[in-house]
Amino acid sequence: MTATAVSSGERRRYWLSVAALAIVLPAAIAVNSWNSLEEWRSRHVRTPLAVERGAIQHYAGAQWQLSGLTRLSESPGNTILIVAEFEAAVDDPELLQKGPCQVILVDDRGRRWQPTFLPPRVVRQARPAAADKPRCGALLKAEKGKTTTMAETFTIPDGATDLALSVTIAGARPEYLLFK
Amino acid sequence: MFRGFVAVAFGAAVLYGLQRTTPGYGEITSPIPVAGKPGQRVDATAFTIGIAKVHLVRAVTTKNVGRAGTFTTSGVWVLVEGAAEAKSESLTLMSAEWLGPNGIRYALSQRFSTVSGMLPAQRLEPGLPKPVLMAFEIPESQVSGGTLLVARSAWTPLEEQARIEMTGIKPDDIRPAAVLARGQGAVPWILSVE
Amino acid sequence: MSAEQHLTLRRRLLALLIAGVGAAAATAISFAMTVYEAANPKPVPVVAAGQPIDTGRWIITIRDARMGSTPPTGIKPFAPKKLLMVEFDLDNRSASTSNVFLRLFTIDPPVANLSPPTFYLARDKWIAGGLQPGMPERMIASWEWPSAVPQPQQLRLQIASQIYKRRDNLYGAPGWFDRDPVAVVALAVAPEAVATER
Repeated sequence: MTATAVSSGERRRYWLSVAALAIVLPAAIAVNSWNSLEEWRSRHVRTPLAVERGAIQHYAGAQWQLSGLTRLSESPGNTILIVAEFEAAVDDPELLQKGPCQVILVDDRGRRWQPTFLPPRVVRQARPAAADKPRCGALLKAEKGKTTTMAETFTIPDGATDLALSVTIAGARPEYLLFK
Repeated sequence: MFRGFVAVAFGAAVLYGLQRTTPGYGEITSPIPVAGKPGQRVDATAFTIGIAKVHLVRAVTTKNVGRAGTFTTSGVWVLVEGAAEAKSESLTLMSAEWLGPNGIRYALSQRFSTVSGMLPAQRLEPGLPKPVLMAFEIPESQVSGGTLLVARSAWTPLEEQARIEMTGIKPDDIRPAAVLARGQGAVPWILSVE
Repeated sequence: MSAEQHLTLRRRLLALLIAGVGAAAATAISFAMTVYEAANPKPVPVVAAGQPIDTGRWIITIRDARMGSTPPTGIKPFAPKKLLMVEFDLDNRSASTSNVFLRLFTIDPPVANLSPPTFYLARDKWIAGGLQPGMPERMIASWEWPSAVPQPQQLRLQIASQIYKRRDNLYGAPGWFDRDPVAVVALAVAPEAVATER
């Protein structure tokens, strides 16, 4: 069988299809991974709302304030306990109850400390009021017009400097609070 | 026509080769190893671990740690004392395995769940090294030539795994018994080997 | 249509027919085999207690069965309970530690309102964790027997089996997959030992 001469119209259609691949392939990849990209972006691209000490900041339907950041030293060794007490005066509990809250202590080197599950014994001796306050999970039962006071304890090494408390409410991403 | 046949056969051979050499899902998502030796600091991106001492005993007795009693085994107990530290984020190292020379992986024994200081229960904070204790039950034939595999999780794909070759451990080092008790100071356990 | 077109058309129809016959034959044979296997199932062998049974991942040897009111830990429960305890030896034949023995054997015929069994390590007299490969252990499975059902005197346990696939059908990842029961063990249940009062 001999190959028939390829008409110019056919050749143009062929090359147009190949050129269209350059657009269609990235579009297919984007459409299929859109959900994963959105999820990654909501988790990693975050904008901080920096709050100076003593200031009140509106976030996720509540007025937030850091009421105390106490430094306790725990024996033995070079372990420091940081007790962070903060409160939220709730205007609109909807965003607060939509998802979990995350409280992390950050330092200037980018290290992140998660709070301890229960306040250690030293905290109960030094600041008994803080040891009784609930953790940020109390926001799930927040009521409009009431102020929820919370406290979290962190165990950090001695040399950590420039500490900041980061509070993230899942419903209010990508913004998060950064108490300096 | 012969050329067409050859082209098809060649294509089939290439595809067969590709099929045989494709790595499986298990290999593609296998943990990323970070090699090390006992007594040395093994640095992964998220954590650091060092192994200080390894004890081989036939029976372990626990004292004032929740469930007291004597734990025997049909093989040998391997008790590993070390220290670990998180680097940038709080984490818990949930997975530790003894890879025997026969390729079998023996996971952490769950019989000592009430002893404080066991690796899967220690929350490691950045900048704070903590002592950790691991307990494995292995057959006596797997004692020499084993490797310790420590990772944050056993199932997360591409997780970093510290691979510490346990050289210098011989079946002659097996002692008859050890006592594991609650410690008071920085180390939450006291291990005394007969 | 010209004669030449007629010829190519006939050739194409013939090719279609041959391909169709092949596909139809494959479908018919596969259907017939499925129906035959469903109608004539392979009999599950009945094994006596004390025989090791290879289920793929585990080698299990059922030892004995008894009724009791105290679990193997020796701690008496709050409310009085009737417990069916089956003692067996278990050997892990896979390449890593495993604690997947919950559905290893089931009571046949199934008992209504029976909650899943709790597995104890006879050596520790405590709830079993994972079993290490190549280190057989004696274990005790304990079912809380519902009070409405009369206590059994004979027990039939159906032992499930698993196969290891290097590449599974979904991800191409290695794993163990459930297969048909491999044996049935029939044994007598010893009644609860009553402490003799003096």
